Amino acid sequence: MSTTRLLIERLRQDLISADPLPPPPSLPNIPLAPSRIFPRTPETESLYAREARHHTTALLGIGHVGTRYATEVVLQFQAELAVAHAAVDTLLPDDWAEKNGLLPLRSRVTAHREFLLRPDLGRRLDEPSLRRLEAEADKEIDVQPILADGLSAVACMKSGLLLLESFTAACKRRGLRVGTPVCARFARVWLEDEIGQTTRARVAAILLGERPGLGTGDGLSAYLVYEPRVGKTDGDRNMMSNIHARGLPPELAGDRLAVLAKAMIDQRTSGVTLDLSRLSAELGEAASRAPRQPQPRTRLVEVP
Amino acid sequence: MRLSSNIRGVAYTFASVTEVLAKANPPKSGDDLAGISARDEVERVAARAVLAHLTMHELRENPVVPYEVDAITRLAEDSLSETSFQAVRHLTVGQFREWLLDARTSGGLIRSISPGLTPEMAAGVCKLMSNLDLMTVSSKCEVVVRANSTLGLPGRLSSRVQPNHPTDDVQGILLSMREGLSYGCGDAVIGVNPATDTAESTAEILKAIDAVLKKNNCPTQHCVLSHVRVQMRALDLGCPMDLMFQSLSGTEAGNRAFGIDIALIDEAYDQMKKMGTARGPNFMYFETGQGSALSSAAHHGADQVTLEARCYGFARRYKPFLVNTVVGFIGPEYLEDGPQISRAGLEDHFMGKLLGLPMGCDACFTYHSSMGQDELENLKVLLAAAGCTYLMSLPVGDDIMLNYQSTSYHDIPSVRRLLGKRPTPEFDAWLNQLGIMDGLSPGERFGDSRVIRPA
Amino acid sequence: MALLEPIPPRILAVQRLYNADPAILRAYGADPARHTSLGLITVDQDDPTYVALDEATKHAPVDVVFAKSFYAGSGHASGPLSGEILGVLAGADPDVVEAGLKALISCLEHDACFYAADHDRKTAVFPHVISSLGDYLSAQAGLEPGTPMAYLVAPPIEATMGFDAAMKAADVRVVKLFTPPTETNFAAAWLTGSLAECEAAAVAFCETVVRVAAGPRSPGR
Repeated sequence: MSTTRLLIERLRQDLISADPLPPPPSLPNIPLAPSRIFPRTPETESLYAREARHHTTALLGIGHVGTRYATEVVLQFQAELAVAHAAVDTLLPDDWAEKNGLLPLRSRVTAHREFLLRPDLGRRLDEPSLRRLEAEADKEIDVQPILADGLSAVACMKSGLLLLESFTAACKRRGLRVGTPVCARFARVWLEDEIGQTTRARVAAILLGERPGLGTGDGLSAYLVYEPRVGKTDGDRNMMSNIHARGLPPELAGDRLAVLAKAMIDQRTSGVTLDLSRLSAELGEAASRAPRQPQPRTRLVEVP
Repeated sequence: MRLSSNIRGVAYTFASVTEVLAKANPPKSGDDLAGISARDEVERVAARAVLAHLTMHELRENPVVPYEVDAITRLAEDSLSETSFQAVRHLTVGQFREWLLDARTSGGLIRSISPGLTPEMAAGVCKLMSNLDLMTVSSKCEVVVRANSTLGLPGRLSSRVQPNHPTDDVQGILLSMREGLSYGCGDAVIGVNPATDTAESTAEILKAIDAVLKKNNCPTQHCVLSHVRVQMRALDLGCPMDLMFQSLSGTEAGNRAFGIDIALIDEAYDQMKKMGTARGPNFMYFETGQGSALSSAAHHGADQVTLEARCYGFARRYKPFLVNTVVGFIGPEYLEDGPQISRAGLEDHFMGKLLGLPMGCDACFTYHSSMGQDELENLKVLLAAAGCTYLMSLPVGDDIMLNYQSTSYHDIPSVRRLLGKRPTPEFDAWLNQLGIMDGLSPGERFGDSRVIRPA
Repeated sequence: MALLEPIPPRILAVQRLYNADPAILRAYGADPARHTSLGLITVDQDDPTYVALDEATKHAPVDVVFAKSFYAGSGHASGPLSGEILGVLAGADPDVVEAGLKALISCLEHDACFYAADHDRKTAVFPHVISSLGDYLSAQAGLEPGTPMAYLVAPPIEATMGFDAAMKAADVRVVKLFTPPTETNFAAAWLTGSLAECEAAAVAFCETVVRVAAGPRSPGR
């Protein structure tokens, strides 16, 4: 082995430490970036973005800088994230249920962080609620409707009542006996088991705020279970999600949930063993899949 | 078998291997929820000291759920390769960790002992590893599988396009999918979580995706992630289906909560062998995630890392094409914040790879957990550096149906460029041909969805 | 930063003729009475290969019977395996040739190479110092085996400036000066002196080539 590599490496170090970088090119004026496709104004949006807007609220056609987002997109995204986080932190006011004519119930959760970390406590009623339910609610019914905060009290307060009303009305139209409407605070899915078991309902239906989405936090989910008993599992349940204005509108969802409840009672089962194939026509009618009017994402950031 | 250790003269004694495994776990809110975690850091280390001195044989003899009561335990025990097991049976878990980290231990060697490992062994050694340890070993494990294209080759990072839609609007799904493809995403699978769990809509979505992929000669696979029974009915209705999907749990009771058991997945697998449309030989897709067993009260007092490993023990029976943990989806009651989610992602990826699975990860968080965008981006880079087979991809990482934050169409090409990774060779050639990519750099048609023609 | 980073030579082909036809042996300069076996190599850099062929003679009883550069260099090669040089080792038996090839390849992979004389890798410089000549280059240079020698190559104008700088910076004398154009359109010089002086000459040469490449029209020092 010769010493050449060592010699040249030493020379390289000397030359580079004297002049570490090649001289930079002279600076031209940096041109303004072409305007981005988001926000979606008629002047700036692409044909693809315009077509997409008719079919989905996903952020499509937003372009890119290198492989990353344009600054406008970053700000919109961060604002949406902030809105979602704020929705999680909102609590259902203590007197909200009674003000809206619903029987107020509470789970065994006492504080918000405990609610996030202890779903087991959110699945059971506290003692006073259980006594009140036993004393005041109708028993031996077909359907027990339950409105609840779940992970978004904002959603519960915004469109919960509308969904509860349309569901109740649709059940009654199908000849089902609907129980006393209740509203549960700090509630998790499965709380419907204990409530439905207590009121001896054939089907329990809980309508609750779901995990907030970006910029929204107003989505509801519904879970239905036949013969509610403490100890039923996820496989025993049927669920419907994304109940909100841009997803499945509450008016349609209520009707569709009633179809499900009726099917459970007819087939005496729920969950994976419930046969929905014969109902696809009816469910399809209940939840029309025709394209709705486009509802673009709201632009959240304005700098006047 | 010794179940006690001393730290600064204080003796710590544990009642069972299950308790040792649980208390050796790094902090997880799900283990707190189950009431099985170590009471403090010192007890945690004491449990790890005991674990480090247990032998692989002792772990085999003490599964966290007894053989007699659980089908997943029986599956792991009955299908274990004795030849592979004999090579490691005498090692302590601590020695096994060192053997895995040894630079002379190649990925091929690890693959040869993999069939002799029970899930408890993978979970046990995982608990003795730091994050960088996990990455070091994972990056050695190569698991190569093929359906229509070849996944898991070295130097590759693949992605699933997840064009979910709140009402399963097929046009909305296709528009999102075409945009994803134009960013170089989707070489692992085009996988839709349907909002409606019916065979008809599953078949309808599959047919629509299939038509676009065929029109564009796109070398990938498709899947609609409805319940396995629903997909079986959809196949009977007559539709293309490259991959069949199911969520798995780590115990028999947990799987019952998902409405499945081994016999059902066997049946689904057989049906796919006959009716699946991918070239194969791999065509099953499974998702898992720490905490799922506890969420259905099916955890038998075991910790969520060990139960997660048992999902992989179940999955490997079917030589799957894709397996991924949906690591932050389950919520803060199981993984409270960024550090816990990141740790779990690296753990799951490691255990899956160690057990011979083509492991991917849905690096994600829900909006009610304490994790932010920057931390999630960190995790994607860590996973890719550890050799993760694939990540998810969605517009801005935002799932408008399932409401959580995952990897974005923009993230995949960014991470690939950063680490010099490419998509599957088939897809890579296709992207370059269309001008979407120019090697590792964005090509002239990068991000231009019109380059993917509608059907 | 590519400046003075090695530009590794690419070995394009290595072939053996263990029982070569006597006519071939003679045509390529070997002696059928002493040689039965040939080792052939093509490389995309000629000067590192001359050094490496010489290196082979120090490790095994082989003779460099043939070594020629191709006109205009590897950028204009006649085929993918041609590069810019064909070198041929000859030996008494296959094992000897094998040992010679091993030393030759090792030298090409780890030692002798061109370096980038600018940030864009457009200019190449070969400032090689041989601490102890082998049989081949010593015969070519007319020096005793074991003598130190600086083997300096660069493009014409850079090299010419560099040779002068090397002569002035170190106590060395010219053995041979190959004015441009060589077959590959470079210029080369063989200088000898003590090892330390050869090293000083190579560094001065290299530094000057870098300086000229960076400022082609700026006045010299």
